[in-house]
Amino acid sequence: MRSRLDTAAFPAFLASMAFVFGSANAFAFLFAWEVMALTSAVLVFGPRPDAGVARAGYTYLALTHLATAAIAVAFAILASSAGSLAFADFPAAAARLSGPVRDVVFVLLVVGFGTKAGIVPLHVWLPRAHPVAPSPVSAVMSGVMIKAGVFGIVLFGIDILGPGPAWWGVAILALGAVSAVLGVLYALAEHDLKRLLAYHSIENIGIILLGLGVAALGRSVENELLVLLGLGAALFHVLNHALFKGLLFLGAGAVQGAAGTRDLNRLGGLARAMPVTALAFGVGAAAISGLPPLNGFASEWLTFQALLSTGGQTSLDPLVRFAGYAAIGALALTAALAVACFVKATGMTFLARPRGPGAADATEAPGPMRAGMVALAIGCIVVGLVGTPVGAFIGRAAWSALAGSGSGIPLGGPPPLPALGDYTPLLVAALLSVGAAIASALLAYRSATVRRSPTWTCGIAPEASFEYTATSFSKPLRLFFRPVFRPNTALRVERHPGTPFPSRIEYESAVDHVIESRVYDPLHRVSVRLSQAARRFQQGTLQLYVAYVVVAVVVLLIVAR
Amino acid sequence: MTDPTPLQAAALLAVQTTFVLAVAPLLLGVTKQVKARLQYRRGPSIWQPYRDLRKWWRKSAVESDDASFLTRWVPVAVIASIVAASALLPLVSVWAPLPGAGDLLVVIGLLALARFLLALGALDSGSAFGGMGASRDVAIACLVEPGLVLALAVAVAAAGSTDVGAISREAIASGPAWLTPPLLLAAAAFALVAIAETGHEPVDNPDTHLELTMIHEGMLLEASGRRLALLMAASEVRLIVVVGLFAAAFVPFGAATDLSAAGIAIGVIFALAKLLAAAVLLGLLDATLPKLRILALPGLLGVASVLGLTAIATRLWIGA
Repeated sequence: MRSRLDTAAFPAFLASMAFVFGSANAFAFLFAWEVMALTSAVLVFGPRPDAGVARAGYTYLALTHLATAAIAVAFAILASSAGSLAFADFPAAAARLSGPVRDVVFVLLVVGFGTKAGIVPLHVWLPRAHPVAPSPVSAVMSGVMIKAGVFGIVLFGIDILGPGPAWWGVAILALGAVSAVLGVLYALAEHDLKRLLAYHSIENIGIILLGLGVAALGRSVENELLVLLGLGAALFHVLNHALFKGLLFLGAGAVQGAAGTRDLNRLGGLARAMPVTALAFGVGAAAISGLPPLNGFASEWLTFQALLSTGGQTSLDPLVRFAGYAAIGALALTAALAVACFVKATGMTFLARPRGPGAADATEAPGPMRAGMVALAIGCIVVGLVGTPVGAFIGRAAWSALAGSGSGIPLGGPPPLPALGDYTPLLVAALLSVGAAIASALLAYRSATVRRSPTWTCGIAPEASFEYTATSFSKPLRLFFRPVFRPNTALRVERHPGTPFPSRIEYESAVDHVIESRVYDPLHRVSVRLSQAARRFQQGTLQLYVAYVVVAVVVLLIVAR
Repeated sequence: MTDPTPLQAAALLAVQTTFVLAVAPLLLGVTKQVKARLQYRRGPSIWQPYRDLRKWWRKSAVESDDASFLTRWVPVAVIASIVAASALLPLVSVWAPLPGAGDLLVVIGLLALARFLLALGALDSGSAFGGMGASRDVAIACLVEPGLVLALAVAVAAAGSTDVGAISREAIASGPAWLTPPLLLAAAAFALVAIAETGHEPVDNPDTHLELTMIHEGMLLEASGRRLALLMAASEVRLIVVVGLFAAAFVPFGAATDLSAAGIAIGVIFALAKLLAAAVLLGLLDATLPKLRILALPGLLGVASVLGLTAIATRLWIGA
């Protein structure tokens, strides 16, 4: 925490989130929602924002208010049909709305809650705001606050609006697939550790939306088992993302504190100075990459199962089922890209030689910080080992809470989730441990001593500059996905005069974030121009303002006559 | 086909794991021998990979000054995850030895776990070649995995289960009718990405001596002694896992449907025949195809994803 304002804003932020999840009527919800937005904005700005931080903060403020506006309009439509602000009256009111109006309400809700959740293309605030906030705040924003958006989509989009047309589900699937793939791709191109993690939040929200899409499709054909599978997968991933992303943000904070930088191209070698942080971060990295037997894999496994069940659902239109299969391809691509990205993030931070002076002088994080990371790492392992029953429980609990006693699905007890296969993490973990025990016994059995020597670098003394960097590591993928990245690269070589030998080589590579440069920048320019036009009315003289009031009153009187 | 009792399952686990570990080096030897013959060389004996393992086993290891604790644990964890993946597959019979432990998604997850650890281990010593290998390996996996999963999704849809054993049993129960056009398309997609997943031409050259072109070998450059032996054994077993997954999901014919000693013996013979056929095919590819530029790989491997989606579309709209 950096100042007294922050110290005050953080508990208010936590309380407002609790109120968001606990509100039972539209006014209380919107009030808590707005307090949540403003207190988190205070935390993003900090006491003395520089230009970059202020820009991030204003982007966040603008988009979060767009979200509030969309939600408020949706609530207004529902409330005017219900004649009440209580959420309990909304389902009946939603059922009375005509089809097109319900579609509009659905779109408004997805835009509003989706902005808070950070789905593409409404994500632009997220990679700006998360890195500038203090690490514990980033952990809570990413672990909890963006989930308020998911909560909204579940509560309103899937429950209160009732069964919708199949295209609602397909739209959620498509948004999820695009968010997941673009989120992880932009993370790959990033070498600021915290911004990389922020892009991964977009990816994980995408994975969560894939589960929610299945739930919405299950609603559309009144297939309760599909709803259960989709909700279970999505909400289980919400829990898991909070665990591993919290852990990773705390790890990034510890790294920044120890090395003084978050730039992966200047880090390295921290595993020796910070073994506990390295190990905990490694567990988080494996979990977020969806590797068994950790928790991220368990919920991704359930998401795959939910999508495969959607594909096999004969009551759905073939086109919808095909969308389910396409989402499977997108999820597989996302999982593989996440592995690539976290090999990069972990390897460049903790392994090999330090690439910069800060990383060379780093020391282990203080005890309480280590304790926080270790606790979350244990959480990732334990939840992973319990596995899909956790997801089944969350899914069933959520669905019976939403649908009440009408769901016909009892809480607890068999049957488990209707998946197409089995996954027992404890057995897999046992198998892995037995294998590892045998292999390490073989390594140790009457083995000769291990000799240490410098890394072979073709005969010259090894230097940190010979190592792969984050930028070089992601080069093949930046080339493979060139149409997405549209990279601007520049290579400048200065030579020793009169020789072909370079004296200095500079390489620069920047990724064009298409959505920002093609959608937001034009919008931004238009809104600035409109604001400047509006400024002509604001001349700062009292008489003029009084004149405006008079004119407005006269016009109103004439109109209302 | 009655499900195995716990005792039978334990016996199956022992037989299958022994088979996998015993045969894995032979397949590499066969591939190299085929390649050598096609290049008019006599080539090393098909038993050479066993001798290599024994040689590395006797040598002491050298470790980089810059290496962390990871370098010691990576070989152990990599071989454990790959052998665990093999134990989830029905290789000699139509039952995986550990029923309920994990389905084909878990097998793919364990292969990804091994790749994650191996790539981190390659970065640990700070060698540029390790970084190059790791960077390329994880990048190529991103092209492989969608194709792999989409191809398997067709078999899952046909059998109504993600359990590899259940898919095998369904296939054997339906006989030749199992090989519908969508399934054949999916099998083609799988075969295409399997080449990349096992590190053969035209994606990777398993016996290159030029560091700049190495992918998998680049990640092993800094390993030595028993650690190198474990990592090589792991990559040899990886071939069995990938080919075994293909066989179990698309052509399980010949796998033991009863768990008598004779049934399992026949199952082992069929499994060996399928693996040897794959090894010979890979040798053919290694000898006849040039290595593609890494930039051309999305074009080649993307075909697998497209084939997979085509297979699914065929299934959904045309039926069968």
